[in-house]
Amino acid sequence: MKYGKWKRALGTLLAAILICVSFAGCSKGGDGKDSSGDNQGKETQPAGEQAVGRFLEEELDTGIVFGKIYDVRKLEDGSLRIVGADRDNGNAGVWESSDAGKTWKNIYNLPAEVQSSSYLHLAALSPSGQIVCAVDKYISGEPHSVLYLVDKEGKANEMSFELPEMEGEGGPTVSKPMEERNIVLDLQFPGDNWVMLEDIYGKVYQINSSDSSVKYTYDFTVGEMAAGFPMYAVGDTLLKQDGTQVLCYDMQTGEQESSEEVLGQNDLQNGFFSAIDTLDGGESIYCLSKGGVYYYKFGGSVMEQLIDGSMNSLGVPSSALTALAMIDERNLLVAAESKDSSSETRACILKYTYSADTPAKLEKELKVFSLYDNSEIRQSISLFKKEHTDVQVNYQVALSEDNGMNVSDVLKALTTEIMAGNGPDLLILDGMPVETYIEKGVLKDLSALLKESGGNYFENILNTYQDAQGQMCAVPARFWIPMIQAGSKYFEPGEDFNAFMERKDTMVNMDPKMVVEKFWYTCGAAWQKEDKTLDESKITEFLTKLKNAYGEYDPNVESDNSMTMTLEGGGMTELTNKSFFVGNIKLLSGDWNTNFGLYGELYYGIQEMVNEALENGNIDLMPGQADHVFVPAMVLGISSRSAQPELAEAFVKYLFSQEAQQILQYGGFPVEKESFRSAIDGHQYGDPDRDMGGGFSDSNGREYLYSHKPTPEEEITRMTELAESLETRALQDDVIKEVVMEQGEKVLKGELSPEEATGAIIQKVNIYLVE
Amino acid sequence: MRKKFSGKRKSRKNNKHKNMRGFLWILPSFLGVMVFYLLPYADVVRRSFLGAVDNRFVGIDNYKTVLGNTAFQLAVKNTLLFTLLCIPVLIIVALFCAVTLYKSKYGGIIKSAFLMPMALPAVSVALVWRLLFHSQGLLNHWLSNLNIAGNDWMNNGSAFWILFVSYIWKNLGYDIVLWMAGLAGISSNIYEAARVDGAGERQCFFYITLPNLKSSLYTITVLSFLNSFKVFREAYLVAGDYPHESIYMMQHLFNNWFRQFSFDKMAAAAVLESVVLLTLIMLLQRAWDNKA
Repeated sequence: MKYGKWKRALGTLLAAILICVSFAGCSKGGDGKDSSGDNQGKETQPAGEQAVGRFLEEELDTGIVFGKIYDVRKLEDGSLRIVGADRDNGNAGVWESSDAGKTWKNIYNLPAEVQSSSYLHLAALSPSGQIVCAVDKYISGEPHSVLYLVDKEGKANEMSFELPEMEGEGGPTVSKPMEERNIVLDLQFPGDNWVMLEDIYGKVYQINSSDSSVKYTYDFTVGEMAAGFPMYAVGDTLLKQDGTQVLCYDMQTGEQESSEEVLGQNDLQNGFFSAIDTLDGGESIYCLSKGGVYYYKFGGSVMEQLIDGSMNSLGVPSSALTALAMIDERNLLVAAESKDSSSETRACILKYTYSADTPAKLEKELKVFSLYDNSEIRQSISLFKKEHTDVQVNYQVALSEDNGMNVSDVLKALTTEIMAGNGPDLLILDGMPVETYIEKGVLKDLSALLKESGGNYFENILNTYQDAQGQMCAVPARFWIPMIQAGSKYFEPGEDFNAFMERKDTMVNMDPKMVVEKFWYTCGAAWQKEDKTLDESKITEFLTKLKNAYGEYDPNVESDNSMTMTLEGGGMTELTNKSFFVGNIKLLSGDWNTNFGLYGELYYGIQEMVNEALENGNIDLMPGQADHVFVPAMVLGISSRSAQPELAEAFVKYLFSQEAQQILQYGGFPVEKESFRSAIDGHQYGDPDRDMGGGFSDSNGREYLYSHKPTPEEEITRMTELAESLETRALQDDVIKEVVMEQGEKVLKGELSPEEATGAIIQKVNIYLVE
Repeated sequence: MRKKFSGKRKSRKNNKHKNMRGFLWILPSFLGVMVFYLLPYADVVRRSFLGAVDNRFVGIDNYKTVLGNTAFQLAVKNTLLFTLLCIPVLIIVALFCAVTLYKSKYGGIIKSAFLMPMALPAVSVALVWRLLFHSQGLLNHWLSNLNIAGNDWMNNGSAFWILFVSYIWKNLGYDIVLWMAGLAGISSNIYEAARVDGAGERQCFFYITLPNLKSSLYTITVLSFLNSFKVFREAYLVAGDYPHESIYMMQHLFNNWFRQFSFDKMAAAAVLESVVLLTLIMLLQRAWDNKA
């Protein structure tokens, strides 16, 4: 009792402290400092006020349409120079500005020896205004890489440096050219004395610009991680990415210095830096990538992001960033290349100027959500933001290799977010239970919006989710067509499912799971009865016929038939098993007798080459239990709980505009008719003076070369009529698809009979369907 | 008289004061229960009469839908079957083990071994389970070595029995501990007196041990019943959203309904389930109270 009062007082005091600490923990730090780490030059603001200070973007009017910009640089005298090529006449020249980029004048064109009868491959400016050019020249019928040094007045001298050929068995580290010769991969001119040249074998040569002698050779050939990764030369330092860090070399001594781990990790996280520049002779650097512009002081522990690429044109997937020129700490130039609506490459200069009174964050936020990454959406977002400069579009891709989540986990998290009012505004519904969402009222009606946009669309595809009241809560912006290509021995155009399944050897060397997945689209659509349950007899028929056509399973067949494609701007995308495109090589090499899958891009040159290689080759709709099937893609839906419904509608409208529809990144055909025509007509290959083509090589090393060419009018008409004839939407339910693929694979491998597999499918799927 | 009257008033005032103090003591936890259980439950009851996303009043339609839903019927059937089979088996086996261990001098050490499964994370259990019972798993491999045909254990009726054994294995230790605590509460004097009177082991068990464990039985039954719902974790981790129909439980259904925005059906089913559970627990308590 003696100490009772004290104990109570102490208890009360401790409880009060605990409560105070809890409340303090809940409040936001009110010191007014920006915790994100950016920005150099960013003003601090009092607590509670909006952060201000941001770099604003503008495209400079240079008075010329560039087809290519090789380099941009601020010279020692303070003037700015561009080395570029005029898109209209192809002439390469040098443009100068003495007023920080407001006006530009052509000071000279590059001499004839640099650009006539040769191909100007690379060019780099030195701080004094000299240019080093790498030119591909045919000498005695053989192509050679030749270096030219162009002085400040535009006079060119050939450098005596000869690019060495690889000795011994070491092969190219980047990609093997068809001619199997060494070529210049990168060229930089960090100071007037030294030219830095990297070849495809992973060697970097430090060349004396006055006598073309090689002072140092930095060897990153086989065995070194750095081979094939980009190099940057700034001041007296050579930087070379090696996959985890950036290796540093002193170009005065040729010795390696301590590596820069922070720089290396940022380089990897943001996509390799496209260019680096400095304002203090190399003490600190400014790095340019699609993620934005970053500042780094050598030896530091963090990189500061000065410009967020997602808020401007830097992050546009289809653009390639080629050069960075720092004017001062608050002004910089970026050279970017992109394809415009005519699909011609166009280069431009973007200027970024720091505005101290502009809010650091954009005023409005639009949240876009999809399960899988969609390159068309990414590019559309960038273009949309150009028109809506006050809008921040946050694109969230739920499924990635990093997070390890599955579709079910993602959908549960999405449900929570939507119901809590923090959900996305726009949903890209590919892979999601679209019909359930429509039924539950999760999505807004878009019919009025589409009427308003007044485009000329494939109505059969556009209206696929329209209900009896005319409401369209989900709308596909693109679509795939299941098609087949084969010689007449294995397929005749117009052939039905039964006739095709009676043929032998149509699916030799094909992975069973892939076969089931591809036929899922053309057959699954015929299984659903009016009460939404599945027709057991049709599934049994499907599995039985498929097994008969597939024949005996060969355990040696390749299961991975995916393919990586380069997108415009340098990005990569993986075309999966279901894509038609992947099978072309297999068909050409004779590994497969037929190629079928989802068709979403037409390259007439390739199509014709494959048809010619086959005996009476043809391409037509893929047979299946359902006829005239299409697969909706980029299915759009606005959340009924969207915080920004008007903005979401504006973006959907934009996605149906011709500009957005004409973006092609292997994501299916556009639903707008003009854009569809533009996507298949091959107009970009219409210039007879420019031979564009490519080639495949199969696993045996055989090469198949093709020339891109415009699609003949009759083929365009045929494809348009095919698209117009599509009437059955493929069954798009990933739960059912997974079960069918799992059981179907077992049937084709001979582990289960078609009847047993059907029983397992029905048992699992029926629970799902009656839920 | 006056004195007596004022005394009553004083004691009533004291009682009131005591009651008030008692109420104040339970107030914090009551507030917690209110905020985290009772109010959300009231919201669930409210939602069971509304549409899924649009919140329009639909009367008892959700209840009708749920009761007519075959997936719900299957889940209820499986959950009931699982509970009715597992709980008696678990209680009896645990009691047998507890009595044996209680008499053994190594009982304490062996008891800890029985508790081990409870310490294992559900994910590890699921991984081992998958490794064992997959169609190309270890069990089939061992069977093939013995020239016995394998089976896709998780995709046929055996999935139920795998789940059953798993539940018993995992919860046995916990129930043994509870039984042993009950056994420790029985005075050894009673056994000694009975033995002096000539009672054997069997008679001691049936006439002394069992009657004295009645109060423990109620606790163990309720806890085992509640633990039986946790078996969903393993079933879900091994077989996903749509397992074989014999192990499709209520939680699978709720999980899938949540993903599909079927909050209307979820709310109605939750209310139905809670009413049934509450009734069962109350009946159980009443039966025990009466016997006591």
